[in-house]
Order: sequence, then C-alpha cells, then structure tokens
Amino acid sequence: MAKLPHDDIYQLVREPIDMAALARHVRAPDDGAMVIFDGFVRNQSHNRPTLYLDYEAYESMALAKMREIGAQLHEKYRIHRVSVVHRLGRLEIGETSVFIAVSAPHRAAAFDACRFAIDTLKRTVPIWKKEYFEDGAVWADGELPPAPAATPRAKPAS
Amino acid sequence: MLKPVPLAPSSSAGYNSPVPPVSQTIRVTVLFFGRLKELTGHPEHSIEFTDAPTIEHLFALYAARHPELAKYRSSVVASRNQEFAAWDTPLRSGDEVAFLPPVSGG
Repeated sequence: MAKLPHDDIYQLVREPIDMAALARHVRAPDDGAMVIFDGFVRNQSHNRPTLYLDYEAYESMALAKMREIGAQLHEKYRIHRVSVVHRLGRLEIGETSVFIAVSAPHRAAAFDACRFAIDTLKRTVPIWKKEYFEDGAVWADGELPPAPAATPRAKPAS
Repeated sequence: MLKPVPLAPSSSAGYNSPVPPVSQTIRVTVLFFGRLKELTGHPEHSIEFTDAPTIEHLFALYAARHPELAKYRSSVVASRNQEFAAWDTPLRSGDEVAFLPPVSGG
C-alpha cells in the first residue's frame, strides 16, 4: 500500500470534530485552494423526523480503508494535504459526522479529490448508522461494498 | 534440567499418551456488525475448526444457529483480515473474519 504523506490526517473520533483546526492544518501556504466537505446529521429521513443517529464502525478496517482512499487521492490528483475524519457514537441533528478537507495548488484537483473521497467513503468504509425516530429505530439503507466474487485460482492464502 | 509440566492436568488425555499428528486446529475470530450483530447477539466470537473452512462455511454455520441470518446472505459482504474477501476464501488459523451489512457512513 502506498505511503501517505505524514501530514495527512485520518481519524475516527467520538467527540465533536474540530473543523476549524483541521482546516487550518490542511490549508498550507504553498497551496491556492482547499475544498471542504462537511457531512452533518439531517433532521429527517424519508420525511420522518429524526431524533438522533448512532454510528458504529469496524474501526481497524474503517481506518485502513480511509487511508486507502487517501492513497488513491494522492495517486489520482495533484493535491497536497488531506484530512478525513469520521465521528462515531450518538450524534444530534446538525452535528458533523464526516469531515473531509483537501488542499491543492489549484481548485479543480481539490474539488475532484474531495468528491471522490466522500463518494468512495460512503461505498467502501465499514461504518453504519442507526436512525432513531419517535416510534423506533432502523439501520440506514446503505451500499454493499464491492468485494471480489471469487478467490483467484491456485493462489495460496497469504 | 527441569521436566516440562503439562499446563492443563485436568485434560482427559494424559501428558504422555501418544497423540497422533492431528491436523492443526484452526481458530478464527468472527465479527458481526450493524443489524447482523443484533441478530446474532454477539459482536465478536471465536470458533475452532479441524478442517480449513471457507468464509461461506463459516457463514452457513452461524446461519444454522441463527436462522434469521440466512435471509441476509445476499446483502452481506465478508472481509478477511480487514480486506474485502470472496465467499470461497479459505481460512487459516488466526484469521479475523467480519460479516458486514451494507455500509452507511457519512
């Protein structure tokens, strides 16, 4: 797996995400642009008022997958610093659940990389949310991550 | 020189009883998440095999214990040691397998 720049940040946290501090960190003087994605808790789901959300993760794999996304960003786009932080546990309406910031010398790469990061995170990072309503709770509809259909033949398990 | 002492004297097999060169026990850690965790009632489980199972075997075993689980087979992906894995992946001792429902982070 590709090595990540040491000043990237990939974290799972249980406290509120300090977006300003992360943005200051990602926004380096030799860049000209930073794109931020702030994903936060919506007050309703399919027109049903939401009380709060509870997030859980397969933490070791989620972090590995988040770092993998970072490695892909650096490979695909001319960007500088990346920060991907996801919060777990109980989150109230309006609280930030996921924060992604990408800095780059020019805006196009930052926009593209940030979009790729959130889209890929939602498809491949093992995190789940349970939605709580007045009259019960449900696991949110999600996406099934792409997995290999079959093991390559005659390949010894490693 | 000290003689080795059996660590588990309560074991039914005597320390010096001839032990055939049995196939090694394969111990696998199994993790369930989201609704699968609620359904099986345990987030983490350790299980032993004498013959190497595949991930499919492992799932079938838990589905036999928790019939509800079988319904989710087509909407579950598996991972082996934190990598998404095919259902026919053979397992080795020490592997960590997780059964993951559709992800909904973000």
